[in-house]
Amino acid sequence: MSNDIILDIQNITKQFPGVTALDKVSIKIKKGEIHGICGENGAGKSTLMLILKGVHPYGTYEGCIQYNGEELKFDKGSIRQATEAGIAIVFQELTLVSNMTVGENVFLGREPREGAGINWNKLYSDTQAILDKYHLDIDANEIVKNLGVGKMQMTEIAKALSENAKILILDEPTSALTEAEIDKLMEILKNLKSHGVTSIYITHKLPELFRITDSVTVLRDGKVITSQPTSQLNEEMLIKYMVGREIKERFPKRKNKPGKVIFEVHGLRAVDPNVSNKEVVKGVDFDIREGEIFGIAGLMGSGRTELVTTLFGEYGKITEGIIHLHGEDVRVSGSYDAMKKGISLVPEDRKRFGLVLIQSIQKNISLANLDQFSTAYRINFNAENKACDSFAQRLAIKAPNLSVLCQTLSGGNQQKVVIAKWLMSNPKILIMDDPTRGIDVGAKYEIYKLMNQLSEEGIAIIMISSDLEEIIGMSDRIMVMSQGRSMGILEKKDFDREKIMVMATGLVKNHNMVEKEKIP
Amino acid sequence: MSDTSSFLKKQIKENIQTYAILLAMAFVWALFSFLTKGMYIGSQNFSNLFRQMTVTSFLAVGMVLVIVTGNIDLSVGKVAGFVSVVVAKFQDDIWFNVMPNNELLTTILSVLIGIGVGTIFEAIQGYLISYLHVPSFIVTLGGSWILNGAILVVTEGKTIAANQPIFSYIAQGYLPPIAGWVMAGALILIMFLTMFQSRRNKVKYGFTPAPIALDITRTIFLSILITVYVYIVNQYNGVQFPVLLLAITAVVMAYISGNTPIGRYAYAIGGNREAARLSGVNINKSIFKVFVFMGILCGISGVVLASYVGYGTIAAGSGYELDAIASCILGGTSTLGGIGTIFGAIIGAMLMASLTSGLQMLNVTAAWQYILKGIVLVLAVYADVYLKKSR
Repeated sequence: MSNDIILDIQNITKQFPGVTALDKVSIKIKKGEIHGICGENGAGKSTLMLILKGVHPYGTYEGCIQYNGEELKFDKGSIRQATEAGIAIVFQELTLVSNMTVGENVFLGREPREGAGINWNKLYSDTQAILDKYHLDIDANEIVKNLGVGKMQMTEIAKALSENAKILILDEPTSALTEAEIDKLMEILKNLKSHGVTSIYITHKLPELFRITDSVTVLRDGKVITSQPTSQLNEEMLIKYMVGREIKERFPKRKNKPGKVIFEVHGLRAVDPNVSNKEVVKGVDFDIREGEIFGIAGLMGSGRTELVTTLFGEYGKITEGIIHLHGEDVRVSGSYDAMKKGISLVPEDRKRFGLVLIQSIQKNISLANLDQFSTAYRINFNAENKACDSFAQRLAIKAPNLSVLCQTLSGGNQQKVVIAKWLMSNPKILIMDDPTRGIDVGAKYEIYKLMNQLSEEGIAIIMISSDLEEIIGMSDRIMVMSQGRSMGILEKKDFDREKIMVMATGLVKNHNMVEKEKIP
Repeated sequence: MSDTSSFLKKQIKENIQTYAILLAMAFVWALFSFLTKGMYIGSQNFSNLFRQMTVTSFLAVGMVLVIVTGNIDLSVGKVAGFVSVVVAKFQDDIWFNVMPNNELLTTILSVLIGIGVGTIFEAIQGYLISYLHVPSFIVTLGGSWILNGAILVVTEGKTIAANQPIFSYIAQGYLPPIAGWVMAGALILIMFLTMFQSRRNKVKYGFTPAPIALDITRTIFLSILITVYVYIVNQYNGVQFPVLLLAITAVVMAYISGNTPIGRYAYAIGGNREAARLSGVNINKSIFKVFVFMGILCGISGVVLASYVGYGTIAAGSGYELDAIASCILGGTSTLGGIGTIFGAIIGAMLMASLTSGLQMLNVTAAWQYILKGIVLVLAVYADVYLKKSR
């Protein structure tokens, strides 16, 4: 075996009751490289990572893992062994204690001691030394909840590095990051590489693989489909490997033309409901037409989520502005009222806001729509079952039956359950806040197709997305937001990645737009 | 037939917790029966055991939904206690002076006032918790102190009798054996009718109902349970009135929790409050309603308590809240919210009552009863955690 292989995964097979999660998986990872792993949800990526982390201990799988020429044998229930060996995972869901400082988090569980107490000076100076060494622009004394998602992730990375990680596993690291933060992350990873740290980079986002990785492994249905240097691959090939079939275009075509205006917002201003002097929406104007997909682009903190939740009546307190629905003045007083008026919201972060994970698919779909098949005294289970079933079929939710708990579903299927819930309420306006975040290519495509189908039925869709490709590919028009303000609305012919980024950073307004507004 | 067995397997897997606690019950009964040479499951003890568990069971039945919504109610013991002294006071003091010879009417009025008092008190607490967002732990802790004082005010430190024959019947009465049999027959008939009705409804909506053999087996099994129960208690005095009351209450609450929007919302709120809110669920109203139900059940519990002991005292209801909470937890209610069943809570209460009764028969001192019950509670929850992990 050559010396430059740091991690040699040989013929790993892992079975769960009824499922083979990994089937004779072999991957060689070179020392100091950035190795991308991609695959649809359920392809076996997470299982593989959990084995490397020791969550599935030695003996629960077949095959062997050589690490620096020695076989890894983690005991049951000892996750620290992986850390001590130098394998660290930065999970998709951040695992920081938000009320503690960066330093406290980095050394959580391994605080430097001074007698019976903690040596705070050493803790903070060591943390800052690590942060500075890798050019992570964070103050060790900052409370974590005050950081943005991007910096929280850097804190996680710093934590891993402080434990002398030799291999850093990043699970979907950019799913919550803005473009600027992604750039920063890429820089950090390259920097780590120059310090000899090996990275395993798991992602759905193909452009990132080409930007940063040295080699890529594609998993599908628990098998390794290919594992080769990135330079020998292109995007079409990767998609083909991942889904096992060719997807001709990433964004399906749509034929319909938007109809008449059904929803208008003029000069909307709103404040944080808890902090009345904190303005979160600072003057937004737009209108939406029937059958239109209206994109809202913007960086994290640009006020896009605040805007749509305010329109849905569940967040901001409106201080100024007019909202017209079907030409009539409306005020939405809450989610129930919004639904009655034909406005639905597929919220961001399905696990936190979209689903009751411990409940069944059926109960989740019907939660917002119990009125349709129940009186105050009785739920008609058969009618409920039938209605949910028809939506589950329409959205092609993959599950043996509707009593399956949502926590066992893949991300794509979970998102479909959330969408099913909101479609059942029969909306005229469907707001989707980052609907494809963290789901695989195949499921994304299905959601795009569904959006097209809905818009052809005349439903107006407002889509927020952090993925520029997606928002350009799907929208009829795009409004770019920055710091609570609309920076302008782009027509389809003016869509351009760089233009949107420049507007989103708040530097330049869309001049065409401003001039057009002035004409009348 | 393989259809039936796979269905059965799924049922067992989904309800493993229920079956586990039923097994634990059977084990406790078998153990005590062995240790007492069969006296334990003799009709007299059997009858008393069920009668003894009713007071806290009413509280446990209401507590399930409170815990499911992610709240807790530490005041229920004192609410029931307060209701019991209020009922006693009206019964033997006030009504007796106003209309001395109207036993039935005074009983009815006292019961209504008792339930009303419990409901109003819990409604106030529920309002503070749901609409004003004061944590339930604090509101109900404060509530129990307030009622502790209120009980002293009402009783003036004395014991008030509540032993008019009609009132006593509520917790001490028995149905005549014939009435017990008629009731059992009617119940079995209703069970079969609802089973067939539900199958017909399923077909009407185009679904395949569960295998008929399975449905029939289950209904026959329940029928046998009812028959055996009525047979045993008829050997002693007959079906106990408070147990009948508890059974009716439990069925109503189980229906509310499983078959109405109120129940569905309660579970959704406990499972994910934010998701429920964004789905148009009125969180405040739902939690308020759950506390109102808790109040009605505290009222009933208090009435049964007064009737059971025959008087209202300053110590009435002390510690019952913890018994009720323990019953819920033993019965599989999750302290994190979102999970729990009425049936489980009843079985949990029964397990606790069975332990107490058995230990008393074996002349174990009160001190050791507490110690053993504490150990059983913690062990049972550990077993549950362990089962969940290994699944």
